[in-house]
Amino acid sequence: MSTSTEHLHIDPTEKRWMIASVGLLLIFFAAVTVAGFMLGIQVPTRERRVDPNTVAEQPPWSEPGVREIVPGEEYEVYVLAHRFSFTPNEIEVPAGAKVTFYVTSTDVQHGFKLQDTNVNFMALPGQVSKLSTTFEKPGVYPYICTEYCGLGHAVMAGAVTVTEAP
Amino acid sequence: MAVATREQAPAAADRGVWSWITTVDHKRIGIMYAVAAFIFFLVGGFEALLIRTQLAGPNGTVLSAEAYNQIFTMHGLTMVFAVIMPIAAAFQNYFVPLQIGARDVAFPRINAFAFWLFFFSALFLYTSFLFGGAPDGAWVGYAPLSTQLTEYVRMDYYSVGAQLLGVASLAGSINFIATIFTMRAPGMSLMRMPVFVWMTVVTSFLLILSLPVIGVGLWQLLFDRNFGTLFYAAQAQGDPLLWQHLFWIFGHPEVYVLILPAMGIVSEILPVMSRKPLFGYAFVVFSGIAIGFLGFGVWAHHMFTAGLGPVAEAGFGLATMLIAIPTGVKIFNWIGTTWGGRLKLTTPMLFSLGFISMFVIGGLSGVTHSIVPADTQQHDSYYIVAHFHYVLFGGAVLGYMAGAYYWFPKWTGKMLSETIGKWHFWITLIGFNLTFAPQHILGLDGMPRRTYRYDAGLGWDGWNLMSTIGSYLIAVGVLVFIWNIIRSWRNGEPAGNDPWDGRTLEWTTSSPPPVHNFDEVPVVHHVDDFWYRKYGIDEDGRAVKMPEVSGGALTVDTDTGGEDGDADAHDIHMPSPSYFPIIASAGVVILGAGLVFISSGAIGFGLLALGAIVSLWGFMGWAGEPITKEAH
Repeated sequence: MSTSTEHLHIDPTEKRWMIASVGLLLIFFAAVTVAGFMLGIQVPTRERRVDPNTVAEQPPWSEPGVREIVPGEEYEVYVLAHRFSFTPNEIEVPAGAKVTFYVTSTDVQHGFKLQDTNVNFMALPGQVSKLSTTFEKPGVYPYICTEYCGLGHAVMAGAVTVTEAP
Repeated sequence: MAVATREQAPAAADRGVWSWITTVDHKRIGIMYAVAAFIFFLVGGFEALLIRTQLAGPNGTVLSAEAYNQIFTMHGLTMVFAVIMPIAAAFQNYFVPLQIGARDVAFPRINAFAFWLFFFSALFLYTSFLFGGAPDGAWVGYAPLSTQLTEYVRMDYYSVGAQLLGVASLAGSINFIATIFTMRAPGMSLMRMPVFVWMTVVTSFLLILSLPVIGVGLWQLLFDRNFGTLFYAAQAQGDPLLWQHLFWIFGHPEVYVLILPAMGIVSEILPVMSRKPLFGYAFVVFSGIAIGFLGFGVWAHHMFTAGLGPVAEAGFGLATMLIAIPTGVKIFNWIGTTWGGRLKLTTPMLFSLGFISMFVIGGLSGVTHSIVPADTQQHDSYYIVAHFHYVLFGGAVLGYMAGAYYWFPKWTGKMLSETIGKWHFWITLIGFNLTFAPQHILGLDGMPRRTYRYDAGLGWDGWNLMSTIGSYLIAVGVLVFIWNIIRSWRNGEPAGNDPWDGRTLEWTTSSPPPVHNFDEVPVVHHVDDFWYRKYGIDEDGRAVKMPEVSGGALTVDTDTGGEDGDADAHDIHMPSPSYFPIIASAGVVILGAGLVFISSGAIGFGLLALGAIVSLWGFMGWAGEPITKEAH
């Protein structure tokens, strides 16, 4: 390989581009670290594991729906996904409250995407997915299944009705 | 000696269907790959048109949900496994040996076996429409949906079909690696290889390392469906997420398998059409290798909504950003190559420039996926569909089109028409952007993918109609391409050996090349060796054409003149045709059919037995056959 140095000669322009690339990389790295660990950006997280055979019979999913934790301020919503609908498919919460969704599936993989919010996660059998959001404006926010689940996938949907803050 | 060699090379008595079936010539196998891939491109494109017709307006009624699900699944499987991978294999088969100055690939019969196995497996996948329905669990085949649809054999077709296509790719990859590492012409060190050859090395390693992972996953899927195992069954403490991990550990490197050969082709065309050396050869090579390595560390960005937790998601998000760097390096190097060059805006060059610009859009929308909160918004929306079509159509397909225009003269000895080619390019580019640009907006507006219909009044109608019109425009572009091929094949201008003033070794031989590729094995002194034979550099550093040297342009190397290393050898032994590879591959596909129908009892076991006999016949015959037979 006596001639290899000749072929690996690096032009100064190329070297500058290389330095610029590495610099970009470091900036990206810093940005993600700051965003992920210091700003505490929330990502979909598995809350816990459940048994998909019995989850629909045991609390809290034996009675899926809205739980009022602090009236007007904090709510929890338990949703069961199954082919090809959500239980419940109508949810009502007030504007301005922190609403936490707990979603799981009883059969195959599903998705839970709440339009116009940060909420979009998979609902997998055997695990509970959790995310919180706050609806600032009253209105109707549909939620749809985003994970392909078979024949009725296109019609699998529900809606959150957000009422005026009390 | 050179004259004697030429005359005693294998005679062109190889005509007719039988000669194609038994061929082990890498060039013929390359052409068969190209033809098969193009046929499947038309089939997959027809499926795409059905999808777009269904979605042209709200509440489409062209397809039922059942038909739609099969068609979008088959569209994905076809385009990935039966179009882009084989068209890459077509170029690699034909041009890797030519570019490294070899007379054939290392394992000619494995090469034939890989082609026939791919072709039969893809056909086999399509027979599913006749027997119980095509796979309908999406090309990602997510469990447990894919394991629960036990009332049909559909996802068994998926499992076995993808498995067999994977085996074909593995065989091809091993062959390319052995060829490139052992059969380079004298003087062609690794860092003198054309970038296309380098990208072939990288994709081959990616396939060898990633296909076994999906192979395991696909077996588990088949076992879950047919033999009562519970790998992915959450109901019995199995883990549905396991499938997603296994699939994407294969699936993301696979994306680079689809795009890297196209990047290699563009890296060949740009220097030729810019009349400049490739800017930063070493960087382009090493960034390709870096993409290959990093490609194994980003798979979970397909699963950011699955609930992996913040640490895993930050890590995979970072890795995804990281991979943008080597990709960006390549893009800057391509721009640097064209910068200040005297550009020849030929059709291959237009397609290459189209590749770069469309790939930049697709790449940038890809970087948005590395931002986890943004990714969870885009997940499984049409934004994703737009993104990967910008990478795989705007990127890969335009890149392979560029390759087709660039190398068609070498395949056939005729030029493709430049006028029709430019029509083809502009119709395709406009149609493509009309189809997929609106899908970014649709996705960000919340339209989910893999739905066979949508309601009116959601603000999606206009964009969808635009997208459908665009897809028909792409179809017009394909028709123009077909017309160009037929017309040029019949009455195209003769190409000569070196129509583009090329830089690499394939342009030193005739168009089409003789069976043995090179009368004399070339000796290589530079990257772009052929260019340095044609041009010198004057005091101002400018290239000056050197006077034509007749006949003696290539250095005669007597030591390698004969395959057996005998300096006195007067003829070149090429491997003899063999029908065993096609028999072996047919047997393996029949075995696969047996696996699909194994739950149906006698039919399944009958097919298994038949497949075992046929493949044994093929492999045993193959093993006992001498590589080069004496006179027939």
